[in-house]
Amino acid sequence: MMNGKRPNSDRRAFQKRLRVDAKEMTASATADFESSRLCTDVSSALEYLKNLFNCEKFDGCLPPIVLKHQLYSILPSRTAVDKKLGEMRENCQIRLFKFGSEANVFMIVTTSDYKTHVLKHCRELSPVLIERTLSLISTCPDIYVSKQRFADLQFDEKEIPELVKVGVLTIRDVGSWWLAVPGAGLFVKSFLAGRKYLLSAIKKSKMQQVLQQDLLQRPLPKAVKLGSVYHLHDLIGADLVEG
Amino acid sequence: MFSSLLSGGGDGTIAIHDVHNTSGTPQFTYPSVSKIGHGNRNCHKYAVTTVQWYPVDTGLFLSSSVDKSLRVWDANSLAAAGRFEFGGSVYSHHMCPVATSHCLVAVGVAESKQVHLVDLKSGSKAHTLLGHRKSIMAVQWSSRDEFLLATAGKDGIIRFWDIRSAKSCLMLLDQHNGDTTAGPHSVSTAHSGSVNGLCFLPDGLHLLSFGTDSELRLWDTQTGRNRLVNYGRIFNKKQNNIKFSVSDEGLASVAFVPSDGNIEVYDIFNGSRVGILRGHYNQVNCCTFDVQLHELYSGANDRNILIWVPDSETVRGYEEFLNSSRQGVGQRRTNFTSRIGGMADAWSSDED
Repeated sequence: MMNGKRPNSDRRAFQKRLRVDAKEMTASATADFESSRLCTDVSSALEYLKNLFNCEKFDGCLPPIVLKHQLYSILPSRTAVDKKLGEMRENCQIRLFKFGSEANVFMIVTTSDYKTHVLKHCRELSPVLIERTLSLISTCPDIYVSKQRFADLQFDEKEIPELVKVGVLTIRDVGSWWLAVPGAGLFVKSFLAGRKYLLSAIKKSKMQQVLQQDLLQRPLPKAVKLGSVYHLHDLIGADLVEG
Repeated sequence: MFSSLLSGGGDGTIAIHDVHNTSGTPQFTYPSVSKIGHGNRNCHKYAVTTVQWYPVDTGLFLSSSVDKSLRVWDANSLAAAGRFEFGGSVYSHHMCPVATSHCLVAVGVAESKQVHLVDLKSGSKAHTLLGHRKSIMAVQWSSRDEFLLATAGKDGIIRFWDIRSAKSCLMLLDQHNGDTTAGPHSVSTAHSGSVNGLCFLPDGLHLLSFGTDSELRLWDTQTGRNRLVNYGRIFNKKQNNIKFSVSDEGLASVAFVPSDGNIEVYDIFNGSRVGILRGHYNQVNCCTFDVQLHELYSGANDRNILIWVPDSETVRGYEEFLNSSRQGVGQRRTNFTSRIGGMADAWSSDED
C-alpha cells in the first residue's frame, strides 16, 4: 500500500458499507420518529422522549432531561399537556426547571432521577444538609424557592450559598432562588449546538425546506451529542420549523 | 335602542358614533354624532389613551391621555365637568362597572409606582395603592365584586387589591403557580415582561392577562392560580396599554386579542385559535365587543375603526339579494332609454 490510498475496489466496498449504514440509521431514526405518533398521553410521550436522551454520551453526569415544548410536537392539545404536567408537578412526580433566560422554556426531570443526580453532586456537603435538601425536593413542587420557604424548612442562612456553589440553586432575585440541575451547562451547550446545526441546515437549503428523512440522515457534528430525532421534536414543538 | 361608540384618537380628539345601522346595506360607514376636536377649549393636548362611558348611562364619560390628565365630560353638552392632573402620562383608567357604593376611578400612571384612586363624588384624589415596582400599565375592576381591583405593570406583576382594607393587596398572580402571598419581598411574576392588558370575564371568575412576552394567560380570580391554558405565542411588542375583549355568550367563550395588524380570536378555556380578523393596515390598539349587537369594534394606527360582524347565512343571503336587485335596476334603465329613442323617432315623423 502506498500513501494510504485505497485501491478502487476497496473504496467502492467502503462507500457501499457507508451507504448501507446510513440507510439503516435513517430507517431506525424515522421509525423512532413515527413511533412518537403512538403516544397518546403525556406519560407515554415523556417515556418516549426520555428514551431518546442518551445518558452515556454525557458519561452519566446528567439525568434524562426532556423539554416541555417537545411534548407539544407529539400531542395535539397544548392546553391538555400543560394541565397534565401541572398535575404531575403537584404530585411531585416530575420537576420543572427553567431553561436559560428564555421565557416559558422548561426542562422536565422525574423526581427520582433528580434525587439520584443531586446525591451524586452533593458529596461534599454535610449529610444533614443533604437530607434536608432531599426533603425540600420531595415536598415542594415549585420552580423557585423563596427565603421564607427556606426558613420554614429550617435551613440555615449559611447553607444557602453552599447549595448555590454545588449548583442546586441559582440566584434569581434578592431572597429568591431558582432550583436547578447541577452540571446542566453541558446539556445546554450540546443542545444549543444541535439546534443551531439543524436550523442552519434547513435555512441553507433550497426553498428553506428539507425532507424529514434527509434531515434525520445527516451526520451530526461531534459537539452535538443528542440524536437528530430529539432535536427535531424540539424544533417542531418550539414552532421554529413547521412539520 | 341606540348604541354609541366612544373613541379617542392619537391627536387628542374624542368622537362619538351612533352604531345603529338603519341604512339597509350591510356595508355602511357610521357617521360621527359629535366630536370633541381641537376647537374645544378643554380638548386633550396629546394622544388619548383610554376612554370609558360612565357605567350607568351615557350622560357622562371619562378620558385619560398622555397629557397627564384625566378629564370628565358631559356627553350632551360636550363640556368638561372635571379634571385631574397626575405626575406622568396616564396609561389607563377604569371605573367599576358594578359599583353601587363608591365612585372610584383607578388610574395607572407612567413613572409612578402607585395606583391612584380618584373619587368622582368628591372630585378629589382619594388614595394610592403601593406595591408595584414599576409603572402601572393596566387597571381593571372586577365585573363581579365592586371592591376588587386588578392592576398590572411593567414589572410583570399582577396584583389584586381589596380597596376597603388598609393592607389592601390580596395577592400576586404567579405564572408558575407557586407562592402568591403579597409580602414585601415577593417576586412572583405573572408574565416575563410587562403586562399590557387585563380583561375580566363577564362572570368575574376569571381574568385574562396579555403581556409583552407574547403570552395570554387565564387566571382563576378566587384562588389566583394560573389555569395553564396554552394559547400559543401571540406577537405583542406594544409599549403601552392594549385593550382586548371577550365574548362569553351562549356556546362560545372567545377572546379577541389584537396582535400587530390582526385581531386573533381564541377559545378561552381551550386555548385553540378560532380565527384571525385581517383588515387593518397597522398596529391594532384596541378592540371592544358589543354584547347586544354582537359586533366587534377595533381601532388601529391606520386611523380606521373597523366593525366586524359575525358571518351568518342571513347576512350573506341579504347581500346576494341586494346585488341581484341592483342589476335588475340597471337593466330596466337600458330598456327605458331605448324606448325613448323609439318614441323620438315616432315624434319626428309626426312633426314632419
